Amino acid sequence: MRQHRILAAFAAGLAVVCGPVFAATDGERISIKGEFIDTWCYFSGVMGGTDAVVGSAHHTCAMWCSAGGIPVGLLAEDGQVYMVMKIEGDDANAGGDTLLSLASDTVTADGLLYQRDGLNYIVVEKVVSNDGIANLNHVDYGVVPGFVIPEPKP
Amino acid sequence: MIRALLFSILALPAAAQEADFSAGSTAKSWNMPAEVPALFEAKVVDLLCEVAGDCPADCGAGRRQLALLRTADNTLVYPMKNAQPVFAGNVVELLPYCGKAVEVDGLLLDDPDIGARNVYLLQRIRETGAQDWVNADRWTKDWAAANPEAAGKGPWFRRDPRVNALIAQDGYFGLGLETDEAAIKELFE
Repeated sequence: MRQHRILAAFAAGLAVVCGPVFAATDGERISIKGEFIDTWCYFSGVMGGTDAVVGSAHHTCAMWCSAGGIPVGLLAEDGQVYMVMKIEGDDANAGGDTLLSLASDTVTADGLLYQRDGLNYIVVEKVVSNDGIANLNHVDYGVVPGFVIPEPKP
Repeated sequence: MIRALLFSILALPAAAQEADFSAGSTAKSWNMPAEVPALFEAKVVDLLCEVAGDCPADCGAGRRQLALLRTADNTLVYPMKNAQPVFAGNVVELLPYCGKAVEVDGLLLDDPDIGARNVYLLQRIRETGAQDWVNADRWTKDWAAANPEAAGKGPWFRRDPRVNALIAQDGYFGLGLETDEAAIKELFE
């Protein structure tokens, strides 16, 4: 705890010296093409590798996570993940209908980028185009996780 | 002096991410590759307000993601997951504490190769100064109260009306019912 107290005192002093570093800032205008993903499964690895926990294979799980209030992200083509904070004026980023309905869709989105402590955040101002579910990885991975689809009764 | 201060400012992000908060943690492992137990003091904040300055009076009343502004180093930690292994997030767990100082215990994830920095699984929380911890497992009770028409056996995610409506419309893979039927047939044959 001593180390924490020293860090706290240092951070407090630093905040006085350069407070604006930590304050909310204006975003940078960007346009991103990417897929709306379930960020917890992507970051944690609990359901498999990053190639498997996206796309059609993971679509139902992505909906469960979104409905459960787990943060939704945009996985860009370059592999960067952008945590979605707001979309087209809707701030319901914890289980809201808009993000639930977009699970696994690949879109082009215009918005504002913010970066804070290692994570990218985006306020999506407009979904310019929507390709639907474009990553058809169920062909390779089936369904992820495997228990999503109940086995059909004979 | 100025050079030392500049060096300290530049070094802060790396130092914050490398700081060890495991002392005193009783967090249970989820066997995740990048997990580290972490017990720390923080202020619960509205994420959109903290990052972008978009600040309603009520912290979003449950609509918005909440986050933890760690006291020791002013790092913004994103608590994505509660303690329940059932696809549940953290807003229900954190909303009663929004704007307050708390202690939290859980698992930090740090996997920069895939962009995961300062990501957190919350297992228990208490207001600073409180004696008793509160387990971060209230989500399913909150869901049941909000969805009485979906009462029944099985986990919530099998009974959720919104998700089930989307599955009925577009299938488990989201590609339409015909594609779904063919894929399922292949999977189980």
